Amino acid sequence: MSTQLPRIAKTFVVYALLIFGASVVLVPLVWMLSTSLKGRQDLFTYPPQWIPRPMVFRNYIDAWKALPFGHFFLNTLFITVLAMLAELFTTSIVAYGFARFDFRGRNGLFTILLATMMLPAVVTLIPTFLIWRNLNLIDTFDPLTIGAWFAWGPAYIFMMRQFFLTIPRSMEEAALIDGANVFQIYWHIMLPMLRPALLTIAVLSFQGNWNNFQAPLLYLNSMEKFPVVLGLKFFEQSLSKEAPMWNYMMAMSVVMAAPILGLFFAAQRYFIEGLNVGATKG
Amino acid sequence: MLEAYSQTLTHWLLVGAAVILLMLITYALLQALKARRATAVGYALVLPWVLGFVIWQVYPVLYSLYLAFTSYDVLTPPKWVGLANFKTMFLDDPRFWPSVRLTLLYSFLSVPLGMIGALGTATLLAQDVKAVGFWRTLYYVPSILPAAATALLWRFMFAGSGLLNSILSPFLKLFNIAPPSWFADEKLVLPSFLIMSFWGVFGSNTIILLASLKNVPKELSEAAQVDGASPWTRFIRITVPMISPSLFYVMIMGIISAMQNFTAPLFITTPGGAGTFLNVYIYQQGFTQFKMGYGAALGWFLMVLILLLTAVVWKFSAAYVYYEGEVRKEG
Repeated sequence: MSTQLPRIAKTFVVYALLIFGASVVLVPLVWMLSTSLKGRQDLFTYPPQWIPRPMVFRNYIDAWKALPFGHFFLNTLFITVLAMLAELFTTSIVAYGFARFDFRGRNGLFTILLATMMLPAVVTLIPTFLIWRNLNLIDTFDPLTIGAWFAWGPAYIFMMRQFFLTIPRSMEEAALIDGANVFQIYWHIMLPMLRPALLTIAVLSFQGNWNNFQAPLLYLNSMEKFPVVLGLKFFEQSLSKEAPMWNYMMAMSVVMAAPILGLFFAAQRYFIEGLNVGATKG
Repeated sequence: MLEAYSQTLTHWLLVGAAVILLMLITYALLQALKARRATAVGYALVLPWVLGFVIWQVYPVLYSLYLAFTSYDVLTPPKWVGLANFKTMFLDDPRFWPSVRLTLLYSFLSVPLGMIGALGTATLLAQDVKAVGFWRTLYYVPSILPAAATALLWRFMFAGSGLLNSILSPFLKLFNIAPPSWFADEKLVLPSFLIMSFWGVFGSNTIILLASLKNVPKELSEAAQVDGASPWTRFIRITVPMISPSLFYVMIMGIISAMQNFTAPLFITTPGGAGTFLNVYIYQQGFTQFKMGYGAALGWFLMVLILLLTAVVWKFSAAYVYYEGEVRKEG
């Protein structure tokens, strides 16, 4: 009895804290959704109105039409998909090289790669901008997508390498004896086993490119090329400068967040395992 | 518009093909030079990263060091000015030090706060909780949302008659305090950013620390319990040292990203630029005022600051971080 009671008390405290934490996470999100369905007059009512009356679904249509958000969406998708594909391809290949081939200078190069994780992006900002400017490619999608071919993201390479290290070598060796070349081994043997890792990097990379604000802000000037995030910024700066149209802005925030949330929930089982392998072994 | 898409798509395909071609050439060259197979294949495979490292990191870092000693407005060629940019920065620019102060205070406070929050959450989830996957996923959600959307949301909740003040109002009335104006009050800008950052930190840090907690051998804690150690002692003396490599990793990454806070402050208007983080200030100087030389100098300053902080943490960590299998010198 004396040990039973503390255990029940402990379980109770643990769940109470978890629920409290969950509500801290959820309340702002519910508020975002609720605001996106409110009329202008209901934005600042007291006490706070959690379920809007009436629900104004038209907000989504009106906000969508206030600026060419359809365009913005397509642009974001275009940028994100190109950058993500190139990142997945190059980071997995580079990681394969580091994990499996014992070439001279490998450890030195890998140490440099890890060190670049600590190099703040801010110091390369201006020269990188000048490179694209000299190529006459400002206000195109090029600066946002083409760099991905050069294995963007040391963290992704590191995670991938950790994955490769968990895969036994025996299968590759067997294939090698059967006369397969490196490309065949990579494509037919490694890639299928890498699925959780690739999925994890895909989610991270999709999220990173989809949410990226600084690069589009620097490189894109004409509104027709804006991704959603710049559309949101423009909306906040111009159309709702005097009296912020929070309901519209929240509606577009929901729209911007929805694809990432969907992807995350679809892939979350692999995703969290993937993050763990990358983060704990090292 | 289609033109813009097809132009980038063409360039994208060409550069991709070029990278693959260069990999094949590297391989063929090394083979011709009679290198071992592992060397030829290895270098060919890591080539994309090596190229990227040189083009997008080594060259820009050095070029921005050069720019830091010039005055450059993009239209006319850079003009060498010696240390003038640094003199302006340290002595004459009234907006520089406040922004350094804000950035440093934000990092010093938000990183430890976030780590304590993440460690607490991870410890809760490690207590044989039912449906761990569900909680873990739920706690991860804030960190995958677009920073822009989160910033707008918090600005709205922190408005004078926004959600936060509505929730607080019974307490405020009780103690007869006027409702705070958060981001609109110069003095409350930093606390507001801190509260906001706290919401977003649970995600990946919690997951990393949870995985690390699960790897701590149970026998250690049980043995200590038999010896009569209290739960708190066990946590501080056994659990924390055992997961210290993960804590260290989370801390370093946290500092680097906090020091470069950018998206949120650009979406949140504050009075008199009280919320101008250093990274935002660099953007303003370099890209809205087109003082690229000064911007580069500020960028270098921020980089050195981050590297210094990392080095200090590293130095300290040598004494505290415990790596299994590591042989330690005595004394």
